[in-house]
Amino acid sequence: MAGDVLVVAEHLGGKLADVTFELLGRGRELADGLGGELAAALVGGGEGLAAELGAADLVVTVDGEGLGEFNPESHARALEAVVESVGPRAVLVGYTAMGMDLASTLAVRTGRAHAAFCVGVELEGGRLRAVSQLYGGKMNVTTDLGDGPCVLSFLAGSAPAEAGRKEGAPRVEPLAPPPAPGRVRFKRLIEPEAGDVDITTQEVLVAVGRGIGGKDDIEVAEELAEALGGAVAASRPLIDAGWLPKTRQVGKSGLKVKPKLYLALGISGAPEHVEGMKSSATIVAINTDKHAPIFGFAHYGMVADLFDVCEELTEIVQDRKG
Amino acid sequence: MLTGPEQVAFVLLALVCAAAAFTGFRNIVAVVSRGGPAARGDRLAARFAGAFLDVALQRPVFKARPWVSVFHAFIFFGFSFYLLVNVNDVVEAYVPGWTAIGAGGAVGLFNLLADLLSVLVLVGMIALLVRRFFARPKALEFNPTVVLRPEVVAGGVRRDSLIVGVFILLHVGARWLGTAFHLAERGATDPWLPTASAVSGLFAGLPEGALTVAVHVCWWLAMGLILLFLPYFPRSKHLHLMVAPVNLALDKRTPRGAMEPVADAARPGATTLTDLPWPLVLDSYACIMCNRCQEACPAHATGTALSPAALEINKRYWLNGHAARIAAGGASPPLVEFATSPEAVWACTSCYACVEICPVGNAPMMDLIEARRALVFAGEAPGELAEVLRSLDEKGNSFGESARKRPRWTRPLDFKIPDARKQPVEYLWWVGDFASYDPQCQEVSRGVARILHAAGVDFGILYDAERSAGNDVRRAGEEGLFESLAETNAALLAECEFERVFTTDPHTFNALKNEYGPFSGCGGYEVVHYSTLLLELLESGRTAPARRLGGRATYHDPCYLGRYNGGFEAPRALIRACGVELVEMPRNRERSFCCGAGGGRIWMKDPEGATERPSENRIREALALGEMDYFVVACPKDLTMYRDAVKTSGNEGRIEVRDIVDLLSEAIGDVPREAAA
Amino acid sequence: MKLIVLMKRVPDLVEDLEVDGSGRALDAETLKLTTNEFDEHALEEALLLKEATGGELTVVALDGEEVDKMLFTAMAKGADRALKITGAGAVGSNLALARLFVRALEGRELDLVLTGVQAADDRDGQLGPLVAALLDLPCVEVVTGVSPGEGSVTLHKEYSGGVVAEFEVDLPAVLGIQAARQAPRYAPVSKVRQVQESATLETIESGEGGAAAEGGFEIVQMTPPETGEGAQMLEGVDELVAVLESKGVL
Repeated sequence: MAGDVLVVAEHLGGKLADVTFELLGRGRELADGLGGELAAALVGGGEGLAAELGAADLVVTVDGEGLGEFNPESHARALEAVVESVGPRAVLVGYTAMGMDLASTLAVRTGRAHAAFCVGVELEGGRLRAVSQLYGGKMNVTTDLGDGPCVLSFLAGSAPAEAGRKEGAPRVEPLAPPPAPGRVRFKRLIEPEAGDVDITTQEVLVAVGRGIGGKDDIEVAEELAEALGGAVAASRPLIDAGWLPKTRQVGKSGLKVKPKLYLALGISGAPEHVEGMKSSATIVAINTDKHAPIFGFAHYGMVADLFDVCEELTEIVQDRKG
Repeated sequence: MLTGPEQVAFVLLALVCAAAAFTGFRNIVAVVSRGGPAARGDRLAARFAGAFLDVALQRPVFKARPWVSVFHAFIFFGFSFYLLVNVNDVVEAYVPGWTAIGAGGAVGLFNLLADLLSVLVLVGMIALLVRRFFARPKALEFNPTVVLRPEVVAGGVRRDSLIVGVFILLHVGARWLGTAFHLAERGATDPWLPTASAVSGLFAGLPEGALTVAVHVCWWLAMGLILLFLPYFPRSKHLHLMVAPVNLALDKRTPRGAMEPVADAARPGATTLTDLPWPLVLDSYACIMCNRCQEACPAHATGTALSPAALEINKRYWLNGHAARIAAGGASPPLVEFATSPEAVWACTSCYACVEICPVGNAPMMDLIEARRALVFAGEAPGELAEVLRSLDEKGNSFGESARKRPRWTRPLDFKIPDARKQPVEYLWWVGDFASYDPQCQEVSRGVARILHAAGVDFGILYDAERSAGNDVRRAGEEGLFESLAETNAALLAECEFERVFTTDPHTFNALKNEYGPFSGCGGYEVVHYSTLLLELLESGRTAPARRLGGRATYHDPCYLGRYNGGFEAPRALIRACGVELVEMPRNRERSFCCGAGGGRIWMKDPEGATERPSENRIREALALGEMDYFVVACPKDLTMYRDAVKTSGNEGRIEVRDIVDLLSEAIGDVPREAAA
Repeated sequence: MKLIVLMKRVPDLVEDLEVDGSGRALDAETLKLTTNEFDEHALEEALLLKEATGGELTVVALDGEEVDKMLFTAMAKGADRALKITGAGAVGSNLALARLFVRALEGRELDLVLTGVQAADDRDGQLGPLVAALLDLPCVEVVTGVSPGEGSVTLHKEYSGGVVAEFEVDLPAVLGIQAARQAPRYAPVSKVRQVQESATLETIESGEGGAAAEGGFEIVQMTPPETGEGAQMLEGVDELVAVLESKGVL
């Protein structure tokens, strides 16, 4: 109905993505504001995953041949069918690798307004206003989407996932899969090579620079990274010194990373390095030198001994995890 | 003296050998003329006069390896005199009754010189052979990753050295012994032939027939060998004795810092051997394969695949096998396959040490830059370099930064630097990329600004209109981008009113001083390095140190200030004026060892397999001088390179890298020194 | 293979972006544009495909500041043709831009349309899927490598965490390129200048409608996100822990 909100559930390998719960949390608020229901579209997820979408009032499932693995074409068609059947005011999609295949396509095919890069949505007198974080996070742009149906694709991590992780017993309505043209065929999934982690996809990076004492100090950083569920990255001198593999290098000649948290330890903040990490959502710099340029780029800074901070923080994090 | 048949045989041998040598020499001329254009036809008389004077005084040789150079000088002077000796010996062979032996006066003096120089040649040659084959200096070895022709790997250079060495020993030794046999035959000694006379005593008892045979054998060994050697010359590095003087005479006489522009914009640089300008093709024939360039090369010293010597040697050995093909209009394989490698080409720091040190006037660095030009044009520049070039093209700086942020370093100053675009200034300060954007260098820039401001100097900057001067863009092989930057900058300069240009950056200094001439609007003004400007302020009393700082310092000559432009003394005078004891590193002034940043290297990854960085090598050199407080630099890139090197070489706290202006600010006292980052 | 690369200019993010007097748009005076970095990757991937298959590559862009240079640069790198859409003025949305591109492609043979996976100003969605939806072609976003086949291509799509999915896609199709198999090549300035002298850009009039009609969803506000200049200094590990908590890391 007119005030309903539909969240597109995203999953890979039988596991729902965090962004789905973030969207459910947001969707609930929005649905309440609009006076409608919160629905979730689960394409190719099966019964098991539907049970995890307790935050929704309704889960529309679409299963069938070729839907078990994500497929940009058939999943988009299935979603289109769900949207047509639910007829929501707003469809919330994650601005993720999968969501990017769905949102724009859906918007064009269903004639909906679309706002991408969303970090927020406001309801004003029946009109929806989407806040998009554009220009590499340098501007928040509010778009008036009017009072018609729309698609909103939200950046991952823009809302707490906890709000969407709720027990509940939503109605589950299966929907028959619509015919798909079959022009896109899933072949296989390739897991990352066991060789090394991909630092560009990590949410947390503990980055070390030449401010660390020696090769042994990398172990301390690795422990902290592990505790935080991230990986260790480094600035050029450490890679050059052969202390860490090239795959861990952040910066001009290394990789460009945009993690949720970039913890820079003993990194002075040379422009070559900063170029590779300045887009990180939160940058925390710890350095013994209070004049280190990194403090000009970081969101948070701390003048302290790296060793002490690392060890203390690792302990605290491990304690919390129990 | 020779018998009739001997006389005929010698003439026949001479004809055969000359004919055989002719093809070789003709091919060399044909190969060299296949090279690209280069203007070397100016002031030929002066060029050759200068070159022969240099050779006569052995000046290029004595730049390095003093003992080897002394032995070389023995051989050189001896061989030069032997031209006359050989003429005499032919005359002796054909003119009945003529012999120099026993004569006095001028001929006696000739005998004395021939006698003594023969011994010196033998001493020199034996010393050099012992060095090469028994002492086996490391300088003659190549890094394992250096590309070498199979002939070189198989010991071609050693074999050639042995052949040449034995030839010299036999040629000179036989002549000297022949004289001794002659004296024994005559049963007399000659005071004008002291050493031959002394040796002749050994043969005093031999029968006369045996002595006559010995005289003839020695004559043939001395003179016949010369003929046999003629066809070998074009294949041997010994050819240097003919080509080196010519090469020195025809070397580049424009300022060192003014690179030759691309000849054909549609096909820039050199892919194959004959794409090189002809003087660079000639280089391979002049090369004596002494590896001095390799010894001076910061890239080779730090374990990379680059050896300027191997480049010339490979060119020569390839040509030895394919000269006829090239002479007939054929092409060589790509230079980066047979003569060097792309890794080596990109390892060059364009420091000019190899060109400066070469005793025969070669410029292997230019081969590398020509190769870079071709690689860049073919889209084969290393990825990191390509990214920087793109930024320089789009934004005018190498930092990928906003052009608008270029003047931000001035913000903390409590005065405003005049905008040279809007008002006339005496000094136009071309700040440069590093001095504008690098946080450490920005402090130095502010230090310069404060001193000039306090001294009442009328200076201005170009704010966001300034772009990179393009010095290292050009040396990275991107001529088109250099031209585009220079055109924009020259047009900007043409609109401003000023008397002199100064800069803290030696690279910028070099480009503005030596390479902006051809661009409209440039010229009619002087370009000075800030070290010169600051020294002038001290000497004129416009600023003065208030105290002596004390401590010991060593100073690193930046390549583009020192070796390229002769700016050696002003920075040193400034250091001393601050009351700091200056201790020289072994490699100083012309012999300064590059920090490793030049020629675009600062934008690229460290070469594969490098054992250390040139900057770390340099810090070791400084620390080997004993307790040292400061490592003083006069170049923004040096500041970042050496501060890094002190850290990465684990020498933090042992030496402090400081810019000259930083020392001066402290000595003047009223300008607060910013805390080091 | 007929390859089309769609390129666009976006605000250069190394500049400090400023909002104009209306509070609803970037300040045009201080705005500097640059080529969308992902479009550079799309071009590179297309060049690799062209080299592998001997295809024909056409680059399409909307007219604007320094667009000629961008197109000539693409040709210097190896694109066969460049097509410039003129007369559209400022285009306020990607959907409008997509419509212009679709109109420019009308009647042209095409097998594969490549464009950047996203751009910093994609307020209303990504160009690739928008164009694909308008043309009713299949589309895959976040593509990192394409290998040509018979009437189809096999490609890699990147998920988070380094997991890659392989798809086979029938041609014609639209791809949003995340990264080419190699870093975008560099076009030397002298080569670009030579192309500029010898080659011509094809132009196509945008025709009426096009841009303005689709600007339906207007920007009501533009503000920089709230972050202070420089780091907020923390005094101890406790404060650090609090920050990590507030950012959802702990």
